Amino acid sequence: MWGTNLRILGVVLGTVAVYTLLANAIPQVESEVPEELSFTGDVSPEQLIEAGEELFNGAGGCTACHGLGTRAPNLLTAQGSAGPIGARCAQRVEGEDCKTYLHRSLVEPGAYVVEGFQPIMPDASRTMSGAQIWSLVAFLESQGGEVTVTAADLQAADAGGEAGAAAGAAAGPSATTDPAELIRELQCVACHKLGAEGQEVGPPFDGIGSRLSAEEIRAAILDPAASIAPGYEQFAGVMPPNFGSRLTAAQLEAIVAFLAARK
Amino acid sequence: MSGRRLGMAASCLASLALVLVAVHVAGAQEPAVAGPRAYGSFPWIGSRTAVWIAAEVHLMFAAFVLGVPMFAVVAEGIGIFGGDERYDRLSKEFTRLLLIAYSATAMWGAVLVFFLTTLYPRFWAHMTEIFEVSMWIYVGLFFIESFTLYLYYYGWDRWKKGRAKIGHWTLGILLNVWGTAVLFIADSWLTYMMSPPANVGPDTSPAMVQFWSAFANATWMPINIHRLIANVVFGGSVVAAYAGYRFLSARTDQERAHYDWMGYVGNFIAIGALIVLPFAGYYLGREIYEYNQQMGITMMGGFMSWLWIIQAFLIGVLFLAGNYYLWVGMGRIPGAERFLPYTKWMLLVLIIGVIVWSTPHTMIADRAELEAMGGSHHPFLGVLGVMSAKNTAVNLMILTTFLSFLLYRRANRRPVVSWARTGTILQAGLFVIAAVVVLFYGVYGYFVSAIVRIGFSVYQVLAVLATIVGVVALDVAMLRGSESRGEIRWGQMPPRSQYALFVLVVTFTWLMGLMGFARSGIRQHWHVWEVMRDTSEWAATPALGYAAQVISVCVIIFLGLIAFIFWLGGLVEKPQLVPERGEH
Ligand code: HEC
Ligand code: HEC
Repeated sequence: MWGTNLRILGVVLGTVAVYTLLANAIPQVESEVPEELSFTGDVSPEQLIEAGEELFNGAGGCTACHGLGTRAPNLLTAQGSAGPIGARCAQRVEGEDCKTYLHRSLVEPGAYVVEGFQPIMPDASRTMSGAQIWSLVAFLESQGGEVTVTAADLQAADAGGEAGAAAGAAAGPSATTDPAELIRELQCVACHKLGAEGQEVGPPFDGIGSRLSAEEIRAAILDPAASIAPGYEQFAGVMPPNFGSRLTAAQLEAIVAFLAARK
Repeated sequence: MSGRRLGMAASCLASLALVLVAVHVAGAQEPAVAGPRAYGSFPWIGSRTAVWIAAEVHLMFAAFVLGVPMFAVVAEGIGIFGGDERYDRLSKEFTRLLLIAYSATAMWGAVLVFFLTTLYPRFWAHMTEIFEVSMWIYVGLFFIESFTLYLYYYGWDRWKKGRAKIGHWTLGILLNVWGTAVLFIADSWLTYMMSPPANVGPDTSPAMVQFWSAFANATWMPINIHRLIANVVFGGSVVAAYAGYRFLSARTDQERAHYDWMGYVGNFIAIGALIVLPFAGYYLGREIYEYNQQMGITMMGGFMSWLWIIQAFLIGVLFLAGNYYLWVGMGRIPGAERFLPYTKWMLLVLIIGVIVWSTPHTMIADRAELEAMGGSHHPFLGVLGVMSAKNTAVNLMILTTFLSFLLYRRANRRPVVSWARTGTILQAGLFVIAAVVVLFYGVYGYFVSAIVRIGFSVYQVLAVLATIVGVVALDVAMLRGSESRGEIRWGQMPPRSQYALFVLVVTFTWLMGLMGFARSGIRQHWHVWEVMRDTSEWAATPALGYAAQVISVCVIIFLGLIAFIFWLGGLVEKPQLVPERGEH
């Protein structure tokens, strides 16, 4: 009897031991926590680049997509005919210099979607502080370009609390209530087709009034996750959920009325 | 007898009271005023590991006490409607195993809640504020569930005949209803941590979170389904190991026959449910991707990518051990000799399958490594490591295992219907078609884009499922009224086969711990994903090596306790379950 018991114990512990050893024999990858950065006023570009590089390769999670070639554009190496990110960033959006473009790529990834890729890039302001985001921008700039991030950017980000606020101020909507202008300003056309204009990531605006009522359109803007347009399920969660807080009531109603009238 | 019954009820009540108190303490905290401290600290192993172990062991017990009633009630049903007394006794013996396991579940639940309230007070306050009502309902249901179980078990011999028996069976069904409700409620809490509704952010006050949207969040249903099935697998494997133990320590042939049969049934349940589990896994994975691409990518390709290799290895062990048990078991079936030559080919398919399946695909690599490999895919391993190859391997392994069961079933029968030959050829044809479809799409997958390829896995799965359904239907019709080539000689099983059952239970338990780590690890440094940050010293998600050690500790605690519980059960009650004549 004791022999049997010991044999059973041996099988059980042996199996557990094999699994434990196996799991310890493979490469050990820990998922780190993004380190909170606190820079003083006279932070040097090198410090920023270093912090950014660490985030990029580690806790920032960027390498899960970038660097594999197919899922997201290469950043550290050339992408197609364009050079590495620091060299190509200024040519992406007309009127946007490299720094602005990179910052927006991180905090408003849906605003400009690189051709040939899906808009899956996460919004960094949800997980990172202003200083962390700016250090990433500095690191990316250093890849083939010149670093222009300064202490002033960091301070502005701190003052604005969230990093998004800094970008929001730059890209925030004006006081206009002209719906067509708002739609362009808010970059709805980055994802919706309006006439010949825009990209088709989400459903086109033309004819939207015949599919949805004004209430449904309002709901779709305020809470995009609440109901997903049929056929666009794979892009659920792509549409920014924050328009409700970025638009005034009058602006929102103007857009709703404008879209509802596009039968 | 009644003294023991009281004692048991009392211990269970006591542990329930603990849970109640703990939940109450948690609810009483007022986060708005000053706020509770963020974290407590636990000596030596640290807070995170303390909560981890408490949660995991609680979950293992819970999975056991939720899984077993499901097939206990099915077995009782077979007993009632099929008129086979054996199944009724089997069902009662399953249920007996549940009794003490219930109090263990409640005790570990109390440990977990106390650890959460003392070690993660701020996080727990957040959870209780959103979920308080569901927590009250939860404990209420737990009461009702426990008492239903007591009635079910202790009423077994009283309500044995006629209408009373049906009433008794209804109790068993109710037991499952309560159990499932309890599971679904608990799932809502942990899935909320993974996939909170999109409109909840770091600044949202918990009071403003809509209960239902937090409750029925994106990953809730997939986790529910995944766990329901996994619980059956788990329960079956624990029961099989119990039977294996009793088989090895049996003194009479009758006992041996009974426990051999019980082990077979437990193993059948475990492997049968295991075959559908991957589909639930795909569903869950897809929902995670849909909820948040980054989370999906972290899970499959990010810092967790190695985890899936270990998982594939473990599942490979499950397939091998499960099939080995069946093949050895053919030795006790007259007529099975004619199938034995096939087993070596099946073994070959399984081994190749395991190897392909556990080949790494996309690994995290730094830039130097990427350059060295000329891309993120290893030039040789990359070919085997992609989804196409893996899906093909898994589907072929499932087909092979199914074939093992089929041969087992067929072994001692001689069909009498006139079309038996045609039927067998038809069955073989179905197998061949499924294998060809699986292989065709596996190879074709290399020539198309990823998006198209993902669609292929659906065809592969459908082909396998259709074959399983078709072949079983043919088999049932074909064996109607079949002649026997001789009774299965239950009990005449070489002892070595029983050790396969122990390997199976350890592997299932370990796998459950591993998947638990994966599920909660993908949140990374968030208590609630992108809503509540983990700012404790334990925020970083550990590497697999450390995780494996914790998992092993949990497995040993669980199996140690369950062995003790079974031993206790054996002390008080010499089961009158062993039937008079041999099992067949
Ligand atoms: C879930 C996958 C994913 C993750 C994680 C991710 N990205 Fe991206 N990223 C993309 C995709 C896809 C694109 C191309 C489409 C687009 O422009 O949105 C992109 C585009 C970019 C661009 C613009 C590239 C260009 O050529 O103009 C930059 C810059 C960038 N990402 C930086 C980052 C940084 C820094 C991180 C880490 C904080 C990161 N990304 C994390 C998927 C991801
Ligand atoms: C980053 C890409 C993106 C941006 C920017 C964006 N949307 Fe969307 N939108 C989507 C996607 C994808 C869908 C479909 C999925 C869904 O319903 O969430 C969608 C759906 C909608 C719908 C519902 C359509 C239907 O047929 O159900 C409306 C209305 C809408 N968007 C309006 C807007 C407006 C107005 C703006 C600018 C203020 C805007 N969107 C900006 C991606 C975007």
